Amino acid sequence: MDLLEYQAKALFRQMAIPVLPSQRIDNPADLKGLKIPYPVVLKSQVRAGGRGRAGGIKFVENTIDAVAAAQTIFNLPIESEYPQVLLAEAKYNADQELYLAVLLDPVARRPVLLGSKQGGMNVEGANAESCSKLQQVAVDQDFSPFYARRLTLKMGLQGDLIQSVSTIVEKMYRLFVEKDLDLVEINPLGISPTGEVMALDGKVSANNDALGRHPDLAVLSGKRQSSGLPGERRSPYAPASRQNSHKNVLQSGPQFEPNSQSQISNSESLNLVELEGNIGILCNGVGLTMATLDAVAHAKGKPANFANLGSLDRYEAADALRDRAELGLELVGREKNVKVLLVNILGSVSKSDELIAAVAGYLERKTRANRQIQVVLRLGCDRDSVKERLGQLPVHLAATLDQAVAQAVSLAK
Amino acid sequence: MNLTPESKVLVQGITESPASTRAALMMKAYGTNVVAGVSPGRGGLELEGIPVFDLVEQAVAAVGHIDITVIFVQPYSVLDAALEAIAAGIRQIAIVTEGVPPLDMVRLVRKAEATETLVVGPNSPGIIVPDKLLLGTHPKEFYTPGPVGVISRSSTLTYEVALELTNAGLGQSMAVCIGCDAIVGSSFMQWLQILDEDDSTEAIVLVGEVGGWSEQAAASYIAEAIDKPVVAYLAGRYAPKGPSLGHAGTLISSRAAAQSAFGVTAENKMAAFEEAKIPVAALPSEVPKLVKKLLKKN
Repeated sequence: MDLLEYQAKALFRQMAIPVLPSQRIDNPADLKGLKIPYPVVLKSQVRAGGRGRAGGIKFVENTIDAVAAAQTIFNLPIESEYPQVLLAEAKYNADQELYLAVLLDPVARRPVLLGSKQGGMNVEGANAESCSKLQQVAVDQDFSPFYARRLTLKMGLQGDLIQSVSTIVEKMYRLFVEKDLDLVEINPLGISPTGEVMALDGKVSANNDALGRHPDLAVLSGKRQSSGLPGERRSPYAPASRQNSHKNVLQSGPQFEPNSQSQISNSESLNLVELEGNIGILCNGVGLTMATLDAVAHAKGKPANFANLGSLDRYEAADALRDRAELGLELVGREKNVKVLLVNILGSVSKSDELIAAVAGYLERKTRANRQIQVVLRLGCDRDSVKERLGQLPVHLAATLDQAVAQAVSLAK
Repeated sequence: MNLTPESKVLVQGITESPASTRAALMMKAYGTNVVAGVSPGRGGLELEGIPVFDLVEQAVAAVGHIDITVIFVQPYSVLDAALEAIAAGIRQIAIVTEGVPPLDMVRLVRKAEATETLVVGPNSPGIIVPDKLLLGTHPKEFYTPGPVGVISRSSTLTYEVALELTNAGLGQSMAVCIGCDAIVGSSFMQWLQILDEDDSTEAIVLVGEVGGWSEQAAASYIAEAIDKPVVAYLAGRYAPKGPSLGHAGTLISSRAAAQSAFGVTAENKMAAFEEAKIPVAALPSEVPKLVKKLLKKN
């Protein structure tokens, strides 16, 4: 879960990482009570990157300009995300701008400190040249400040900056561990002509699995305007507005954005990712979902969307799996352009009864509603018993993934 | 790695949920030597012949040295359960629980390295040695004994590939899912080495995701250190563009930073496997064909 800049800075303040005096602006009128002296910077509080280039940051000299600028920023979507809040912050003249970050290296399975002498927009742009200047230090064992000093030297810092910057890195690391974060980033860390350091912009991403033991961060997730269920797991990249939980779907009707690219998640909420074809795909598990998508594409079929039920073992209560599977079927089959549903679910035989019941229930409802949709069903269990259970219902049974895909693709033509 | 049907197996969190109890009984029914369970507060209970203890050390005192523990406790208790097992001298751990905080895993990995403990998971169906041993929740119906070792990062995709091997008459010497959470206890490399040394394994299948950091690292390791034939299947070739779809990239918020740090760009996703001359199956059903081809060569 990505925090907004002002939330990240509140955490920085708690850790005594220097940040500028700032004030949260919920609507343009708040600027009349501004306590920070002009000139002031107004910043759109969105999760998307590149807000500076998009016009989400404005310098203002007086209240009239500030109110006008705030109105503009509130009405400016950045990567389709409208800010709910602006941050008004004192202006700062930095002599030099650094990049600093702490994150986890999933291969080494260690936290890594990252740093560059070229901070600011350079790193955001992801161009190879500026990235190659990023230095890294893996924290192999228990953290000690020397890891931070090692980073500053690799970055090419000298003199007093070694100590002042490594102190910041140390505090970032402590925040990272204390709050179970996925990322702490300061970009840029401004250095004034007198050598004073200041976190000018920051990004903090909380780990969704750990939110349950950080009520202070979980509260922030609840405040997000377009959030789904509490405790949802979502891609750190995906803007919240593109996430769709099944709750939203069932309660508020068709509100899916086409071509959503949110991640397949293990989340409690069932995510639908929409593509452009005519085959709806329902699977269990991220890997199997991707493999099924690949197989359809390989057979020149076009997936319309996909949803992942996740681990079947999760469904303990009676009918929980059946309900969930029916919901999944409704979800992948809800758009009219979907001609075929490809259901590929592998799990213990003991789960197959509930899955078959879900498919039967779904098909009966669709027949009643006169919705023409074909279902190709592949379960990892004996085909004959499945056939028996489904009786006369119009469902195509497949024994293997290849068969299921071939059937789905030919039916979708 | 020491896995035999005689290996003594503990189940931590045996009464945690109906699913964990069922899994323990299924392991036992498969022939696994489940000697004890641990569930704090449930000591003294017996589940179809499996004695339950409050502490791991009590279990060890009662049944002697334990070789492997399978952990089903709640995510925030996993680190503690694993440390308790290590303190009681257990050096092989399979974690089935999903959603363990990554920094807990970092701590566990450090401890595991220091004590030479092998950790599988979290978020894993564990390990299966067909017809001999089940450590976790692999559904037995997809497996049959054979010469192919399967190492994977995802649960149901492991079943898919195993089923293809079973249907092709090849079968598996062992299948392990190293875990679907972002930070897992052991690496592809560790398991490649284990299977390379395992006498009953003649070929290895690596099941991963396109562009995963761990997969890239594994590819160069295979080229350098693995003697047995290896076939890979990587899911996600046609996955929609945009943020990483799978497990592998979920931790990395700052893509630019991550790419720089870990050297992965969109262009070299498959290159690591091409360079290492590892055949990559386009579909799970191609895996047995490629394995047969390589086995014939040897």
